[in-house]
Amino acid sequence: MGGSNRETAGQAQERLQAREVENDLIREAQAGSRSAFDALVRQYEHQVLRLALHLTGSEHDAEDIYQEAFLKAYRYIGNFRFECSFYTWIYRIVTNLCLDQLRRRKTRREDHAVVLDRAGDEIDLLAAVSDNRSFSNPARELDRKVLAGKIQEALAKLTPRERMVFELKHYQGLRLRTIGEMLSTTEETAKNTLFRATKKLRAQLAEMR
Amino acid sequence: MNCELAQERIVTAAYSELADELIHELDRHLAACAPCQSEREQVLALRLLANANPVVDPAPNLVARARLRLDEALDALPPRRWYERWSQKLKNNVAGLQRAPVVALLLLAAGAGAGALGGYQFAQGRAAHAAATQTVAASTTTEQPSAAAATLANVASVSAIVRQPNSEIVDVSYNQVVPRQIRGSLDDPQIRQLLMVAAENSASAGVHDDSVGLLAAECRAGHSCQPSGIRDALMTALRHDKSAAVRQKALEGLEPYVAQDVRVRNAVLEALLNDSDPRIRTAAISLLAPVEADTSVRQVLYSVSNSDDNPQIRNVSRQVLSRVPEIQ
Repeated sequence: MGGSNRETAGQAQERLQAREVENDLIREAQAGSRSAFDALVRQYEHQVLRLALHLTGSEHDAEDIYQEAFLKAYRYIGNFRFECSFYTWIYRIVTNLCLDQLRRRKTRREDHAVVLDRAGDEIDLLAAVSDNRSFSNPARELDRKVLAGKIQEALAKLTPRERMVFELKHYQGLRLRTIGEMLSTTEETAKNTLFRATKKLRAQLAEMR
Repeated sequence: MNCELAQERIVTAAYSELADELIHELDRHLAACAPCQSEREQVLALRLLANANPVVDPAPNLVARARLRLDEALDALPPRRWYERWSQKLKNNVAGLQRAPVVALLLLAAGAGAGALGGYQFAQGRAAHAAATQTVAASTTTEQPSAAAATLANVASVSAIVRQPNSEIVDVSYNQVVPRQIRGSLDDPQIRQLLMVAAENSASAGVHDDSVGLLAAECRAGHSCQPSGIRDALMTALRHDKSAAVRQKALEGLEPYVAQDVRVRNAVLEALLNDSDPRIRTAAISLLAPVEADTSVRQVLYSVSNSDDNPQIRNVSRQVLSRVPEIQ
């Protein structure tokens, strides 16, 4: 759609300034500053948790991925050479950890269609987005939950890589080129994986009808 | 374009990843291919359906807990010593140096290549010049350069260049643009055809804007706005034009056909879902209000009422939805 990617000169300037500030933080963290690293963690922790939680469907797993990702980032921040954005770099670490988690789950044939909290109890994610709607009603809420469950089931049947590409594109809204960079592959491969994922999802959801 | 390729492109277009120059090609294919149209509707339906499993922000408790655990783990790590940091720095510098010989080699190869090419061209030029002065060549061009100079102002492109062997004489074939003007009623098919060309291809933003505005006004006035001609041009403008003003005009022009033409309704639904301008999304809601009973319209309004960034749009779509009976 026209206009969705346009950026004014002011916005570009702001983005560049923010990038400079971030680069300074990275240099300080590389020089051993813990407070600079903490600032970087604060900047990305919500995005990391959001991605991990939606992908794994488990607060416990999301917390583990968060922990492991930032510890890895801390250990290897000296290797960061400003060849890509820090955002891409940290997402690459997180997506690799999530892929490992999804592969382990496939091997164990676990199939979480619901989100679990630390104690293993089911969390109602939909409640978080539906309570403030004045027109909501119990029947519709039930329909939504059933539908969400079916979609989670269909997503769980994708291969880990297809699941990851669909997640990054559909739910996180990233460009295919960025997804390719994060998954160490080409934009074309990411595009083909997205195509396969949508095709499989449609077939899965049609069967469930 | 075959259907297999079109179906791949439908997915990339649904996620706004299709290059501008391929969008028109896909639209043309879709206009003539019912199975691919149905494929596109299914892909758009999947996009809507997948939103029923929304991404939610992590609970503050989870963030706090994860942060605390990370802080504890970081505190437990021994601080890096100065020599560790230095060795890391050295490693990075070595990695940079490893690439240096490759770059130097590439530069050397590029320099040698440019030198050889320059030398070859210089030698060729000298040989041709010498041959031309010896033979006193007669002009073999189909048009004398002096006569051609007067008409070269409107050259659109050069299609071929053939150099006569061992001489400075060349045959240049070129195409010219001849400006023309036509005057006629807005109902004249020729005028309409030209307006549609301007709406789709004009390089000038003003001309483009005017053509979409005029076509939209014709449609609003009910002047034979056929489904396959003007309506298509307006739908394309609504979907892909970079200017919000043009998209707004196209939307207004399509208003009378939302109820009767499903393709128009789909284009308006796409605008409501994807357009970057909140004014256009708001206008799309008001256009869809008379057909609120349509299942697709309800689904889109439902999705927008949940996920649109703009609170006013969420509110308006809820108001429209609240007037509709429950989803069957």
